[in-house]
Amino acid sequence: MSNDKLLRHARIDRCFHWLTAIAMTMLLLTSLSPILGWNWAWYGVHWVAGLLLTLLILLHIVRALFWQRPGTMLLSASDFSARGAGKYTLAQKMMHLGWMLAVLVAIVTGLLLLKKAGVPFMERDPYMYSLGTWGVLTLLHDLAALLSVFLVLVHVYFAVLPEKRAYLRAMVSGSISRADLAAEHDVERVERGE
Amino acid sequence: MSLLRYGHDAYGATVLNGVSWDLLPVAFWAGVAVIVVHLIWRALRRGKCA
Repeated sequence: MSNDKLLRHARIDRCFHWLTAIAMTMLLLTSLSPILGWNWAWYGVHWVAGLLLTLLILLHIVRALFWQRPGTMLLSASDFSARGAGKYTLAQKMMHLGWMLAVLVAIVTGLLLLKKAGVPFMERDPYMYSLGTWGVLTLLHDLAALLSVFLVLVHVYFAVLPEKRAYLRAMVSGSISRADLAAEHDVERVERGE
Repeated sequence: MSLLRYGHDAYGATVLNGVSWDLLPVAFWAGVAVIVVHLIWRALRRGKCA
């Protein structure tokens, strides 16, 4: 890598991002297609994609906690100062927070709903909870799906904006130039791992 | 437009089934609204800088 470029995302993190994107796309397409009038046996693809997403998120949490600097993604007072951002801008942190909320709620409620709907490796038990409790779990799962629809639109929009495209390139190649980074970041802070 | 979906249990009592799918277009158009507002803000900012 040339001196002009900085490594922004390691290969494993890029793989995580794109596999998560595939899983989320499959989950949204499978769950929303019957609502949009396309009736097919969507549930099999949905729970497999859901378990793939669960596995990816568990790996991401372990990697973030033990191999990365989770503090770079946390909101801090410096995000609201005039100085350049650290590794992530305030908008990127807010997007991560939104995804965290949507995905964690979807995963927890989705795993519980597997017990109601049934999967080949787990006996179905729709009487585990009352109908009211299943209703609340489904409500939260639905809200996570609606939030995901909103986040997909906003996330893809910012990814393809010309002035933000360096971030998209970094999510493909791994690196970003110092000049591109300097537009919104304090390169010294980024190099210090903030 | 309803906010929630309801069904009935074996005794005919109303039970919650989840979020009303009337809200799906709301989520979609909320995303579009953010995009449009940002595009307008971006155009205004560029106009000021030019």
